[in-house]
Amino acid sequence: MSTVLQLKNITKTYGDMRALNGIDLALPGDAYISLLGPSGSGKTTLLRVIAGFEHPDGGAILFDGKRIDTVPPHKRGIGFVFQNFALFPHLSVAQNIAFGLENRDVDPVADRRLVDTRVRDIISLVGLSGLEGRAVTQISGGQRQRVALARTLVTEPRMVLLDEPLGALDANLRARMRAELRAIRERCGVTFLHVTGSEAEALAMGDTVLVLESGRIAQSADSDTVYNRPASPAVARFLNCYNLFPGRIEGGVFVGGSGQFALGSATPSRAASPAYAIRYDRVSVRPREAAIAEDEIRIEANFVASEYSGAAVNSFFALDDGRVFEVESHLSHAAPETYAEQGRYALVWKREDALVYA
Amino acid sequence: MSMMAVAEQTETETVAEKKSPGKALWLLAPGVIWMSLFLVLPMLMMVYVSFWTQTTFTIEPTLTLKSWVTFFTSDTYLGALWTTVRIWLIVLVATVLVGYPAALFVGLFVKNKALQTVLLVLCVIPFWTSFLIRVLAWRPMLGKEGAINMILMNLGITDAPIEVLLFSELSVIIGMTQIYCVFMVGPIAFMLGRIDTSIIEAAQDLGAGFWRIFRTIILPLSMPGVVVGAIFVSVMVLGEFATSAALSGRKVNLLGNIIVTQVGSLKWAFAAVAGVVLTILMGAVVAALLRVVDLRKEL
Repeated sequence: MSTVLQLKNITKTYGDMRALNGIDLALPGDAYISLLGPSGSGKTTLLRVIAGFEHPDGGAILFDGKRIDTVPPHKRGIGFVFQNFALFPHLSVAQNIAFGLENRDVDPVADRRLVDTRVRDIISLVGLSGLEGRAVTQISGGQRQRVALARTLVTEPRMVLLDEPLGALDANLRARMRAELRAIRERCGVTFLHVTGSEAEALAMGDTVLVLESGRIAQSADSDTVYNRPASPAVARFLNCYNLFPGRIEGGVFVGGSGQFALGSATPSRAASPAYAIRYDRVSVRPREAAIAEDEIRIEANFVASEYSGAAVNSFFALDDGRVFEVESHLSHAAPETYAEQGRYALVWKREDALVYA
Repeated sequence: MSMMAVAEQTETETVAEKKSPGKALWLLAPGVIWMSLFLVLPMLMMVYVSFWTQTTFTIEPTLTLKSWVTFFTSDTYLGALWTTVRIWLIVLVATVLVGYPAALFVGLFVKNKALQTVLLVLCVIPFWTSFLIRVLAWRPMLGKEGAINMILMNLGITDAPIEVLLFSELSVIIGMTQIYCVFMVGPIAFMLGRIDTSIIEAAQDLGAGFWRIFRTIILPLSMPGVVVGAIFVSVMVLGEFATSAALSGRKVNLLGNIIVTQVGSLKWAFAAVAGVVLTILMGAVVAALLRVVDLRKEL
C-alpha cells in the first residue's frame, strides 16, 4: 500500500493554545483510518488543515507526493464530509450530488448526460435510488448523510475526510451506517479518514486507529493493538476501559496511593509519567475472606453501584483513597451477582494482565 | 382497539384546534378596528371620490368618469406615471448595486456578530439626520459651485461644472438611492448571515471557485433578502414626493408630486384618481416581487 497523505511536523496555534503540536503522519491508500481523540484534542483542526480550510503555522503536507500547503481547498482533490452534512438547502438530492461535477474549477463536466449517468451511479452506490428529486430538507438524517457522502464521492477524490460523520444520527442508525460506510469505502477504493470522539466507533471502523492527544499522535496501530496495548496512560484513559493508578516504581513493585502492586514479567512501556493500568473486564470481585493465588493482586474496596447494559454489567467500587474503580463482568459467563450496598469486597486480578508505564 | 384509541385522540385534537383560534381571534380585534377605520375606509372613500364631479372650485358627489378620462388622456399625468415607474426602476437597481456588496461584506465576511451589528447600525445613521438637513447638505455637494464640481475642475478632469448633478432626474436618483439603500442592505445581510459557513466550505471542497459559489449558492440563498428589500424600497420610492421636490427644483414630477399639487389646489377628484392609480401600481409591484421567491419557505 502506497502512502497517499503525509504530514510532517504540522503545528497550528490559536492565540496561546497549541491545537496541533507537531503532527507526523503517513496514511496509506485504500484504507479505512479512524482518528480518535477527546473533544479539544485538535482532531477537527487537523482535518480542516488537511482539507485546506485552515493554514498550518509550520510543517509540510504532502498529498500524492506533492506539497499542497499553499493549494486552496477547491484544488486539493480531497473530499470533506461535514458533521452537519452542509447540504445545499435550495437544491434537490440529485442537484446536490451533481454540484461538484458541474461547478468545479478543474475539469468541470459540461456534458449533461455524463453528469446524469455519474450521479445515477453514485446514487445507487450509496442506496438513495428513488429520492433523486426530493428536496434535501425532506429526507431523513441517514439519507442526508448518504447525500453528503455521495456528493463528495462523485467527484472521485483520492481521499475522503469525515468529521464525526455519525455524530448527528441516532444510536440505531449510527450502528447501521458504520457497516454501510465501510462497505461504500471498499467499493470506491479510496482512503477514508474518519474522525470520532467515540472509542467504540474508532475501534470498530478503522483498519488503522490513530489516537490524538493534546495536539500529537499518541498512537497509530490496528484496533486490537490500541485496545490491548495502549501506548500511553492517556490513550488508555480515552479507551474508557482501564482503571488507572498514578504512582512510581520501586524495585519491582508499583507504589500508588491505593496500594502496592507487584509487577509482572513484562517490561514497562515508556511514558511521560508512571502509571498502572488494569482493564475493567480483567478484574474479578470476591468475598473478602477468599484466598488468592500467588500470581494475583488484591485490593479492597466498597461497592457503590452497578450499571446493567445487557451483555455486561459494570460495577463501581470506591477505593480507600476515594478513587472510583470499575469492574466489567460479561454475563455470558455467569449470571449477574448482587453485591451488598457499601459492602466491602476484594478486587483481584492477575499480575500479568496489568499494563505498566514508567 | 388501538385504532379506536387513535381515532379518539385525533378527534380530541381537532376539537382543541377548532376551539383555540376562535378565542385567539380577539387578539386581532384592535388591529382590525384600527385598520378598518383609518386605512380601509379612507381608501374606499378615495376610490369613491375619484368618481365625483370636479369643477374649478367645488366638488360634487355626482358620479362621473371625467377625472379618470382626463388622467389617462393628459400628457402631464401619463408623463408623471412614466417618470414614477422609470425612477423607481433605476433607484431599485441602484440600491441593489450599492447595497448588495455592502450586505455581502457585512453578512458573509464579518464573522464577529457584534461587529456585524455595529456595521448594520452604521448603515442606519443616515436615517438619524432629518430630511431637511440632508437636503440642505446635498445642495452644496451637488450644486454648480458645489464640492463635487469644484474638485473635478480643480483636478482638471472637467473644464465646466456638470450642471446635471443638481435639479435634475440624476440628483433625485442619487438622493433616493442614498436614503433607501439601508432598506436593501438590512434584509440581504440578514439572509446572508443565516448561511452556514460550512455550506460554503463544502462548495469550496467540491472544487468550486468564489464566483461559481456566489452564483450557485450565495445568490440563490440571499434572494429572499433581495425581494424583501426590493419591496421596502419599491413601496417607499413609488410614494415619494419630498426628495423629488427638493432635489429636482420641481422639474421631476412623480405621481406623489401630482397628488400634493392637486390637493393643494383643492382638486380632490384628480388627487383621488392619481392616488388610486398609485395604490394599484404598488400592489402590482409587490405582488410581482412576491412571485419571484416563495417567502413562506424561508420564514
